[in-house]
Amino acid sequence: MDVSQYLEIFIEETKEHLQSLNEHLLILEKEPDNENTINEIFRAAHSLKGMAGTMGFKRMQRLTHDMENVFSEIRTGKMKVSSELVDVLFRGLDALEAYLANILENAEEGSEDNEDIITDLNNILNAGLGIAAEPKGENATSTTSNSTSSAGGEKYKFKNIKIEDHEKKAILKASEMGLNVVGLTIYIHEYCVLKGARAFMVNRTLEEHGEIIKLDPPAQDLEDEKYDYDYSAFVITKETPETLAKLAMSVSEVKEVVADYVSLTEAEKTTLNETIKAQSIAKVEANKGTDGTSLKAGKAPAPKAASKPVVNRSVRVDIDKLDVLMNLVSELIIAKNGLVSISSTSDIVLDSAFHEQIEYLERITTNLHESVMKTRMVPIESVVNRFPRMIRDLSKKLNKDMELFMTGEDTELDRTVIDEIGDPLMHLLRNAADHGLESNEEREKLGKNPVGSIFLDAYQDGNNVVIEVRDDGSGIDVNKIRNKAIGKGAITEEQAESMSDKDIIDLLFQPSFSTSDQVTDVSGRGVGLDVVKTKIESLGGEIETKTKLGEGTNFIIRLPLTLAIIQALMVIIGKEKYALPLGSIQTVENIKCTEIKKIQGREVINLRGSVVPIIRLDKILDCEEKEEEPEELLVAIVKKGERLAGMVVDELIGQQEIVIKSIGKYIKCHKSISGATILGNGEVALILDVNTLV
Amino acid sequence: MAADDLKQFIIINLDKDPYGVEIKYIESIIVMQSITRIPKAQSYFKGVINLRGDVVPVMSLRKRIGLDEVEDTPTSRIIILKPDNQGAPVGIIVDEVREVISLENSQIEKIVYDEKADKANYCNGIGKYENELISILNIPSIIGQEK
Repeated sequence: MDVSQYLEIFIEETKEHLQSLNEHLLILEKEPDNENTINEIFRAAHSLKGMAGTMGFKRMQRLTHDMENVFSEIRTGKMKVSSELVDVLFRGLDALEAYLANILENAEEGSEDNEDIITDLNNILNAGLGIAAEPKGENATSTTSNSTSSAGGEKYKFKNIKIEDHEKKAILKASEMGLNVVGLTIYIHEYCVLKGARAFMVNRTLEEHGEIIKLDPPAQDLEDEKYDYDYSAFVITKETPETLAKLAMSVSEVKEVVADYVSLTEAEKTTLNETIKAQSIAKVEANKGTDGTSLKAGKAPAPKAASKPVVNRSVRVDIDKLDVLMNLVSELIIAKNGLVSISSTSDIVLDSAFHEQIEYLERITTNLHESVMKTRMVPIESVVNRFPRMIRDLSKKLNKDMELFMTGEDTELDRTVIDEIGDPLMHLLRNAADHGLESNEEREKLGKNPVGSIFLDAYQDGNNVVIEVRDDGSGIDVNKIRNKAIGKGAITEEQAESMSDKDIIDLLFQPSFSTSDQVTDVSGRGVGLDVVKTKIESLGGEIETKTKLGEGTNFIIRLPLTLAIIQALMVIIGKEKYALPLGSIQTVENIKCTEIKKIQGREVINLRGSVVPIIRLDKILDCEEKEEEPEELLVAIVKKGERLAGMVVDELIGQQEIVIKSIGKYIKCHKSISGATILGNGEVALILDVNTLV
Repeated sequence: MAADDLKQFIIINLDKDPYGVEIKYIESIIVMQSITRIPKAQSYFKGVINLRGDVVPVMSLRKRIGLDEVEDTPTSRIIILKPDNQGAPVGIIVDEVREVISLENSQIEKIVYDEKADKANYCNGIGKYENELISILNIPSIIGQEK
């Protein structure tokens, strides 16, 4: 079968499955009994195996198969999740990713067998089952006893079923909450043809009145008719055993149902309580994956509760096609602006209907633009979702305990920005992990939580998207950088004296400037922060650093929401029109010339209590000299991070949607000119990136 | 190279002197338009124009090759050049566009100027056409690619 036409879909879907596996494995490591996660992992691994098999990627299939075996054992509770196990599984995922990379390149999976991973997997599998088998034997004798055991007899089969630790916990929890735990054994008529369906119906009836915490045989086997004519169920419910038995009997072809209360012996209760306590105290050890269920487990374990993710209805579209669409919309907006400017010229007499239509057109083009922009927007999640895994690896490599907290993964950014932002963020996170956070011992000495925290927060702020990379580490030692810079000869001592802390920190963003005393594998080669800065600036964004010695560092990245079309304030400077991006303008003020003061040769104004420097745009842009100074100045107040500045303009034209066009590479221009745009009347106006002037 | 190897040139005038621009570089010839000045650009760049929705930089050829600048006249034209298939277009302002001629390779004399000579930067041959000598412009070098 020729499957090459499916290759693209295969690659896309495999990527998704691998990502999902990565994410869920991380969760699993922390919450070894989260059943939803286990089910999700199992499903992803299973689809992956099937897809690889269909496509004829035998090695990939084999590896996934062995991984799936492990997942399957975890799912049935026969194996416990341990850190070593997760390590091996992650190695497996890496190997799968390597296969995928090969497939991407030359449509073949390559010849790496990854025998070592498969052997490790199988070893773990065997070892895990071996250990798991023993307690089973022990438990058989000490099976959950029952208050009315004498009344039992052979029919009450559920009384001889071994109850796992986490199930015991659920039982304990239920009895604390005043709910009944009822054991049932359901007998189905021998002549029943669809045993699976019957069992399913009974279970569904039971679930209407409570929560099934255990089925024996497991639900999957029941559905596959892998049982004789009876099975047992444990239900947490408000009802009495009699009512439940009656309900189950109401399903046809059910021969008999016996039911009774299930409770734990006092001894079991105390041991359980102790383990729960011990776990909540030693939280740090929880992720080592002992047999413990977190307290949450009490509410989860309905065997068939696997919730399917909501499937988005979507079409994959080539990004180039969207670019074409985007360009056309840009042209449309220019044409619309042309119509608007004609309609506002007074020498053409037009009736009001025409104006109405123009306004209508304006509304549609704005909406159209927004919609097209939205199709290009991608949640930042697609970039940041690989970071938890990266931090885990770094944590092991650097031998520092750390945790990554992310918020705002659903913040959306333009596709082109998303593609580029991954590496800078990775750099910053690595920096935070390596340089930012102190070692565990050091942290403990300082009285901090020995586990370091790294935060990645994304949120929208006006026309910008802000991404913060924060750590609670040692912060940047400004004096250390100062000395280092002097030592390197980057600045003289006199210079160092006059530089503010902020200026010094900015040195970090200079090429080849690393403060780490030792170069590690992770970072410290001095090619980090300057690359980050260049990249972010090439995306039209900016980066700011806040740091407090001993408390941590915060890198704040601001990115424009869109790249192609922006809202701008049109102004006249000299006799020329310029566009100022509206996003960076705070207010526009009328300032009397007499209010302008000079401090150290710079013009400043006092704006509601803060001193704001004034920038004469006409001087910077070499505009023609004005004959006489007007009495009042129009000043656009621009905010960049925490700093304000006032830009003097001569006249305001108004707000307009403009399409950003490049002015080409041949022409050199002032750094403040970020591009050009075409106005309604066909003229070209330059776009001033006022941020570069602040 | 075969003798019948023909190349077409557009003859333009600058200060009454003829210059030739090989036709393969030319995208279009347009009349003068309003030019938006770009602050702090190279002095020979007059600014940018709107060419059917694209922003295209325009230079004064006079200034580029060291002649005095003059006021635009009704015969002034902007020639839109494209140095290669992928490159962005650039406009040059000329006094007048005269005609299209064909020259055989044999009619073009390759000239090697002294490296330091100003002319070496923009001229790479002399074409003999009727009674005139035409300076063939080195377009890539003029628009600043080869430097």
